[in-house]
Amino acid sequence: MSAAPPKAVFTKPQNGNGAALPVSKLGKAIRVDGELETDGELHIQGVVTGRINAGTLVIAGDGYVEGDVVAREVRVDGRLNGRVFAVNVTLAKSANVTGRVFHNSVTVEQGARIDARMPWRPPSYFETLDQLPETKS
Amino acid sequence: MSVFNRTDAKPNETTPATTVPPPGTPSPYSATPEVKKPQAVVQPIASGAPASTGGVSVISKALKITGQLESTEDIRIDGEVNGDVRAVSVTVGNNARVKGNVYGDTVELAGTVEGKIEAKKVVLGGTARMTGDVVHADIKIESGAFIDGHLKPDFGKSATKTNGAGHA
Repeated sequence: MSAAPPKAVFTKPQNGNGAALPVSKLGKAIRVDGELETDGELHIQGVVTGRINAGTLVIAGDGYVEGDVVAREVRVDGRLNGRVFAVNVTLAKSANVTGRVFHNSVTVEQGARIDARMPWRPPSYFETLDQLPETKS
Repeated sequence: MSVFNRTDAKPNETTPATTVPPPGTPSPYSATPEVKKPQAVVQPIASGAPASTGGVSVISKALKITGQLESTEDIRIDGEVNGDVRAVSVTVGNNARVKGNVYGDTVELAGTVEGKIEAKKVVLGGTARMTGDVVHADIKIESGAFIDGHLKPDFGKSATKTNGAGHA
């Protein structure tokens, strides 16, 4: 499979069985540099630098992500520095977010530390998100 | 009428002062020289995730990683990794695929690796497909394993090998 088809940046829920996919977990001691791609769920407790495409992304309390995140659903308990493109975003009270959060629906719990722009976008924006926009950091 | 009732003496402001001075000198009555115990400050790790499997990382079959992975604990790969993997124990599952080098103390392979394996203990299962060299100190190969490469029992003998393993 060398000739990869042009992949959609935003992974749509294909026939709605995303929940059946196994959960990937990157433990506390891990450090990943690069690109992560899954239609399923991804839990990050370690450090990830790079780009993440996921169905559901959870950045746990110890987790740290630096880079762009594209997902249907994002929950941040840990730290995030970069851009998020997600329909549903939850920033928990222990979250520490810097950057931009493109969302259709967002929840911010009291106590979250956020230094970010949080632009709202219609759902169609995320479905047609084939190329991440350039934004000035 | 002010919204914030400023006349109220804030009890919070006074409390820190009272808590700060610890009984600095040990009481003269206590004969035993009391070792100051560092007070164990138990900070609950406030992560909502259930502590299911410790620090073990699982790259499930739906996940594809392009880049490097490094862990001081174990990694289980059921998906696809394009890049190098370093961990204490690396397990490459049945339908998993790693394109890159795998370093560890223990490497268990049931899937595909295209690259090098450097580990103290290497287990190639019956479904393993290994394209590349294996540097090991102790190896087990089950019937059915495919190997295209050299097996070198050199692990830990010379640090010349790209200082890869990193586990002295």
